[in-house]
Amino acid sequence: MKISIEWLKEYVDIKESPEKLKEDLSMIGLLVEAIADVQGTVVLEVEVTSNRPDCLSHIGMAREIAALYDRPLRYPAIQQNLSISPDRVPYKIEIRDADLCPRYVGLVLDGIRVGASPEWMQRRLEAAGMRPLNNIVDITNYVLLEMGHPLHAFDFDVLRQGKIVVGRAKPGERMRTLDGADRVLDGEMLLINDGGGPVAIAGVMGGLNSEISLSTKRVLLESAYFQPASVRRTSKKLGLSTEASYRFERGADWENTVPAIARTCLLIEQLAGGRIAGSVQDVYPGKKTPVRISLQRKNAAALLGVDLSNAFVESTLKRLGFQLEPKGKDSWDVVCPTYRADMELEADLIEELARFYGYQNIPATLPPGKSVGSPSPVSGIEKAVRAIMTGQGYYEAVNLSFASETDHTEFPPLDGDRIGVRNPLTEDTQYMRTTLAPGLVRSAKRNFNYDQHRVRLFEIGKVYRPGPDGKPSERNTLGILGTGGFVDQNWINPRAEYTFFHMKGVLAALLRGIRIHSFEIESTNAAGWLNPADAAILKIAGETIGVLGALSPGLEEKYKMKQPVYLAELDFERLARHAFAPIQYESLPRYPLVERDLSIVVDRGLAYRAIQKGIAALGIGELTGVDLIDVYEGEKIPSGKVSLTLRLTFQDRERTLTVDRVQGFVDTVLSFLINTYGAGLRST
Amino acid sequence: MNESIDRLRRLFEEDFSKISGMESWKSVRDKYLARENGMITAELKRLRSLPKEERPAFGQAMNELRTFVEEKLQEKLAAVKEDELSAKQQKIDVTRPGFPLAPGNAHPIKQLQAEIEEIFVSMGFQVFNLPEIEEDYYNFEALNMPRNHPARDAQDTFYFDDTKLLRTHCTSVDVHAMEAMKPPIRAVSTGKVYRRDPFDATHSPMFYQVDVVVIDEGITMGDLKGTLEAFLKRVFHSDIRMRLRPGFFPFVEPGAEVDISCIFCSGQGCPKCKQSGWIEILGAGMVHPKVLQMSGIDDSRYSGFAWGMGIDRVAILKYGVDDIRLFFDNDLRFLRQF
Repeated sequence: MKISIEWLKEYVDIKESPEKLKEDLSMIGLLVEAIADVQGTVVLEVEVTSNRPDCLSHIGMAREIAALYDRPLRYPAIQQNLSISPDRVPYKIEIRDADLCPRYVGLVLDGIRVGASPEWMQRRLEAAGMRPLNNIVDITNYVLLEMGHPLHAFDFDVLRQGKIVVGRAKPGERMRTLDGADRVLDGEMLLINDGGGPVAIAGVMGGLNSEISLSTKRVLLESAYFQPASVRRTSKKLGLSTEASYRFERGADWENTVPAIARTCLLIEQLAGGRIAGSVQDVYPGKKTPVRISLQRKNAAALLGVDLSNAFVESTLKRLGFQLEPKGKDSWDVVCPTYRADMELEADLIEELARFYGYQNIPATLPPGKSVGSPSPVSGIEKAVRAIMTGQGYYEAVNLSFASETDHTEFPPLDGDRIGVRNPLTEDTQYMRTTLAPGLVRSAKRNFNYDQHRVRLFEIGKVYRPGPDGKPSERNTLGILGTGGFVDQNWINPRAEYTFFHMKGVLAALLRGIRIHSFEIESTNAAGWLNPADAAILKIAGETIGVLGALSPGLEEKYKMKQPVYLAELDFERLARHAFAPIQYESLPRYPLVERDLSIVVDRGLAYRAIQKGIAALGIGELTGVDLIDVYEGEKIPSGKVSLTLRLTFQDRERTLTVDRVQGFVDTVLSFLINTYGAGLRST
Repeated sequence: MNESIDRLRRLFEEDFSKISGMESWKSVRDKYLARENGMITAELKRLRSLPKEERPAFGQAMNELRTFVEEKLQEKLAAVKEDELSAKQQKIDVTRPGFPLAPGNAHPIKQLQAEIEEIFVSMGFQVFNLPEIEEDYYNFEALNMPRNHPARDAQDTFYFDDTKLLRTHCTSVDVHAMEAMKPPIRAVSTGKVYRRDPFDATHSPMFYQVDVVVIDEGITMGDLKGTLEAFLKRVFHSDIRMRLRPGFFPFVEPGAEVDISCIFCSGQGCPKCKQSGWIEILGAGMVHPKVLQMSGIDDSRYSGFAWGMGIDRVAILKYGVDDIRLFFDNDLRFLRQF
């Protein structure tokens, strides 16, 4: 709300500088965002919160200033006598739907000479951000900015049958508003009709047909109170927001209707040659009474945590226009001014006391602590996962939770369907993501564009799918991405490129770090956005936890990735359930371990898992570890075959292992491999 | 007889001269002195096949040879060991780059989120982990924002259907906490929230918030100020000043806007704080009696305070990040800085 200081001074004395006013008003809840100069006029740009429509006018602001500095308030001059006898121009006001329009005040003037409004009025309108049009419209706008009440002026001669009928529209009824647009109305929208049809959308905008033109000679003024929720609903539905609707939807002052019309009448008489032709008609079926609130001083003191005197309570509220009726010791019945649409209960009065006491004057205290804090149940596992992943050199990413149509086609959900947003803002926010993959892939791409080719990211975030009841639900998920060199180019070691096995390695490290002691990786054909060559699923105790693999060649091509990108996605909640196996101490072995390497030549198609499981099934208790330490293909190895070097680790808890015993075990393993897989011992 | 001993001696001296380090020293020692098949040992066995009268001379000559070999080797050992030691102490160029192990780091907003949660846990709060997909009741109605209320305009909302939406703040913690437990209540919730805002330098359709609520007998506005001040000082790690001024939120009354002294100019006035010396940081207030009532709390006996704050906003202020989109680009050059 743009408030001209020069204009304000008509209603209240102001000796403070604009800067001081800005400071003081802000501290009582009327934030002055800026002090502007509009063609030589100093204007305060005030942010008026939606609970204080009474401050959406110069008098409203002047009232606050008068209360703040304890100065008298001067109301503008109004026409005292709004009736003539007899009426030169009889007219009729009829309210059909009093629930939506409890009060309608009308007045007819003739002798109107439509022209430009005087310079002082135009300047004030411009200072407040409104465009001058003609004297009649300008006067109604002026009164709106001055007194805060929206009025409307109709060309009386256009009104059929000289009457106003206030009632709900018929569903599908149409009318053309002042802005030239054709509006389709529904049965809940309140209209101002004349004897033939709609002439205005009540409280929102007037009709094109009845607007004031240069030839207007007679006007009918409307000063009414419309039900806030109704105006708001209509305004939203039509997508039409005006200075009038803005004020009505926040709650206008029904007692301001007559003074506002009286003020308008005076200005029209002074500036546009008008004279009262049809006496004021105050149709007021829905009598509204001021809000009454019980106030107890002890409640105010208790809520704020300060001592308040009765004198302070009484003087503050009186300055603000409240009436106090004492009701026993330290308590009152408070009658709230009708312009205070925000007054409802005692807490509202306590806020008035607080803001005039000064929020800055309330001493800071600490409530006694009676509880012990506790972190959220997921924070333990999240922290652990975050620590392990960052320790492995991954950076934590956060992507938006939304997905576009393209995302869904390229990265179809691994299971279940997607959820659509009913009112997205853009194409990118049409759906909720079902997988973290597209976000991570896009992040990698962005990094490539900035010459970062070694990317390692992880994200802990939600994916969204319909739940078992069909309603939208969310699941916490871990996504991992790795691409590019495993370490930066360096002078010490050759550089390995990120492969499937690096992804598998980081998953293994992660699971170990959260005390999950065994897991399975199985090849899968249901790959979706993964390359079927290495798409795999991760299982823990037989439960599928997630997938891993390279981005499919099709998507790699589409995103022009130029290097393989590896992804993993795990259901975080399932992972968490398996995590943190209880710690069980195992005493340390007293006898040394023995390592023996075995290089065997086997068919390339033999899965390592088979060898692992087969050796384990031999039941050699002293064999505590089997590791694959080398893989060799090439000359010296027949085609279709591969050489694997296994490192066998032996340990006996009871006694030292002899060379003979170890050799015996090695021979057992070797025979097994030879007999089961046709393995050959590699000749050196 | 002496020929073989002399030959052995010459052989030894030749091998001895070629000793270049510990390994070669050991192999020379083993070649000549090994108990099982060292050359000296083997030669000594020949003693039995000699005629009796040649044995004493042979034995003595062999012992002399053996002593000779042992002494030479012993001397050489010291030199070999010293060479080894100085090889180990050979200076390398320590100024060359170290091996590029690089730890990653957590996302700046997640770091702040964790820090904020820890501050609250230490102040006796229970952290609630609430869903992002919320009911209209918890996000609006139970917070005194019925349908069609103008205050809802400020929070343009993403809806799935008539009742399910993406939460626009974490203030629903006030309601969930009141439903979960009886006072005294100290609850906090942080996480992603959503508004139908465009994605530009200062807005994002998704961001992070933290919401706090305290409900008990005798909670005052002074308590709100004190708790808030303690919290803000810890979050910003500095002696910032705080001021409250009246503000409006439907779920609190009295309501307040909270400013902190501008961290860029220590409150002197600069472009970042529009010369005012203050930066608006969060909204707060005393829990509205209707909000208490709607969740079954007796507002004549209990009172409470609540506040809510954008975590991205804190990050922007703390770190001077100039574009909110950077938090969601995941550019490594950005993420690394935290």
